[in-house]
Amino acid sequence: MSVTTRPAAAAEAVPAAGPRRRWRRGGALSPPWLFAAPALFVYAVVVLYPSIAGVLYAFTDWSGIGGEMSFVGLANFRAMLDDEQALGSIANTLLLTVAILVVQNGVGLLLALGVHARIKSKALLRVIFFAPVVVSPVMIAFLWKYIYNPAPDAGLNGLLAVFGLPGRDWLGDPSLALWSIAGMVIWQNAGYSMVIFLAGLEGVPAELHEAAMIDGAGPFQRFRYVTWPLLAPALTINLMLSTIGGLKLFDQVFAATNGGPGYATETLSTVLYKQAFVYGDFGYSTAVALVLALFVAAVSFVQISYLRSREVAQ
Amino acid sequence: MSRESDWLREARISRAQFFRMMGGLAVAAAAPAALSACSTQQNTGATAGAGGDAATALKFIGVADQKAPMDELVAAYRKVKPGVTITTSFAPTDQVQTSVRTQLGAGNAPDLHVVYPGNGSAMSMTQIAQAGLLADLSAQAWTTTIPSGFKPAFQLDGKTYMFSAGSSVIGAIYNKKVFEEAGVGELPTTWSEFLAACEKIKKSGKPPIALGAQTPWVTQLITYALVPSTVYAKDPAFDDKQLAGQATFAGSGWRQAMEMYLELHKRGYFNDNPNGTTFEQQTSMVATGKAGMAIQVSAVLPDFRKAAAGDAADLSMFPVPGADDAAQVWIPAGVVVGLGASAKSGNLAEATAFIDFLGRQESINAWAKAIAAIPLTQDSGSTIDPAVESFLPFTKDRAVPFMDQRWPNAEVQPTHFAVIQELLAGKSTIDEALKKMDEAYQK
Repeated sequence: MSVTTRPAAAAEAVPAAGPRRRWRRGGALSPPWLFAAPALFVYAVVVLYPSIAGVLYAFTDWSGIGGEMSFVGLANFRAMLDDEQALGSIANTLLLTVAILVVQNGVGLLLALGVHARIKSKALLRVIFFAPVVVSPVMIAFLWKYIYNPAPDAGLNGLLAVFGLPGRDWLGDPSLALWSIAGMVIWQNAGYSMVIFLAGLEGVPAELHEAAMIDGAGPFQRFRYVTWPLLAPALTINLMLSTIGGLKLFDQVFAATNGGPGYATETLSTVLYKQAFVYGDFGYSTAVALVLALFVAAVSFVQISYLRSREVAQ
Repeated sequence: MSRESDWLREARISRAQFFRMMGGLAVAAAAPAALSACSTQQNTGATAGAGGDAATALKFIGVADQKAPMDELVAAYRKVKPGVTITTSFAPTDQVQTSVRTQLGAGNAPDLHVVYPGNGSAMSMTQIAQAGLLADLSAQAWTTTIPSGFKPAFQLDGKTYMFSAGSSVIGAIYNKKVFEEAGVGELPTTWSEFLAACEKIKKSGKPPIALGAQTPWVTQLITYALVPSTVYAKDPAFDDKQLAGQATFAGSGWRQAMEMYLELHKRGYFNDNPNGTTFEQQTSMVATGKAGMAIQVSAVLPDFRKAAAGDAADLSMFPVPGADDAAQVWIPAGVVVGLGASAKSGNLAEATAFIDFLGRQESINAWAKAIAAIPLTQDSGSTIDPAVESFLPFTKDRAVPFMDQRWPNAEVQPTHFAVIQELLAGKSTIDEALKKMDEAYQK
């Protein structure tokens, strides 16, 4: 109880202290900034500085080792336009992102609606559905490599065989591998979307449902006209997180297929990794990374502006 | 990647100058100092105390293949020089490639680290030595005994930058029981005999060749096993011509080798779904008698034997005959992955002293034995694994180093991996594959 009363007490105290303050609200020396300063300093040193320094490498031909480099202007960016591997990876990245975006949030929403219902084991089910989220993505990829074993009697193929369905080469078939990876990522992250939707569902006032019921709305209509509009903030967060996650996808791809077979599952992240550490072309890799970062920022910006306007409208 | 040169390109600058040019970022000035203070660790080893030796701690990062020999030789070195402690860590190739390359780039590489022979990969001797990051070992006695054919693997511009204990070969690691059960009596010595043996094993109901092509480096081994016969037996100077721009993959016996690779695939001599099968699954298939053979490098024999448990004696090796005339069969024999000393090491003298110890004949013998390699130099104490004895007649004048060791950049090899996976998936043609490799070679 004391936790809930304290903020109120603090709120009363602030106006009283007002006249004696020597700083202006929001000024650089105000307490919020002073409290944040140590964290901001660390952030500047370990995040901002390396990121900005990294941007400059995109305009050089540095190999990643050794002391010599020279400026090459925009050559790295021009090279990207002719690089089949990089262009192919953009297509793969977008396909993966869209698949993850749609299916993960769809499954997450269904799971959330499921465990929000009044069923006995809902606490246990919530834990089970969320469990994969806490496992490291690399571990998930190795586990799924067993599930995706192409042998006819192993893993998923074994399960299909029970129902008389033919097995597939899940990660070895270039036309299937990308979707197999998407499946694995969705399996892991659907629980995360579920938790966010669940928080949104908990916030829907019961009175609105009651009122709708009195007005004669069925379960579907109640979802469509009561729940769905009020879930908009949760949907915004979910869509944005899964878009960013999809565009940056690396660990699962790297551990499961390493971009193969051929270049079939290469994403922007695996390409930039390979350029830097396998091909020894750090400058070009940084250029790819810069494009990826700008792209993610642009997509997120557009997405969040649209979704926020939708929230306001409703 | 075409890098058109402009006037900026002419102005080579050092990394230090580059950082100075970014001097506006004054806020960050403290960062490198603070970070390097954390990473520098010198002379902090426990005083092991014998004979008043100043205690030195050396750090080594290597690949998993090096663990067995390094553990043994580091222990032996502690007896010779108790004042020096060597901490070792090992990881799979791609992880080491990332971590050590990053450390090399940041200027805080371990004192000793893995180095791949020759050129052609991001962690290869030539690439790192060119950047001035490997210590010159030429003054050490063992370097004078490097066989001349192996010198390009160890040396750049006449100076030795890498130690390696010997060479390994690529051939077929086979399960004797499976061969016997299928009625393969004599081991094949020509391509037609090889196909006939595969056919017999296939008829016995088992895949003749296990192929774990999902593991990228495994994809290259069959081409590597065939190319010595289809390219180098006809033209031993192929590498030099290719470097001079007078020869290409597309216009050489590489085409024939790829055709033979795909012929094995078309005839159904590989396990189902090779692109979905890993090196570990391949190993287990041969070791447990579920497949006849795997075309592999001899350095992984210990892995196969471990997987076979009690039946390790059933495993042996034979050269893959890549030609129909037994006299035209050549084999790939390459220097095994080695190590070098970081030129920037704070303990350079102690680090190179350890390499000098590795260069002693008894150390070479011990290292080679641990990984079933053919010792770099041999004496009465050298042992050669019985499984690779059938390769010895070839090593004198019918063997060539692994192809990538003479490739000019680190992009050809991963391109080779990718095109093989595409060919196995039926998503590409040999023409396209060789064209991609030629393009990567010319970058």
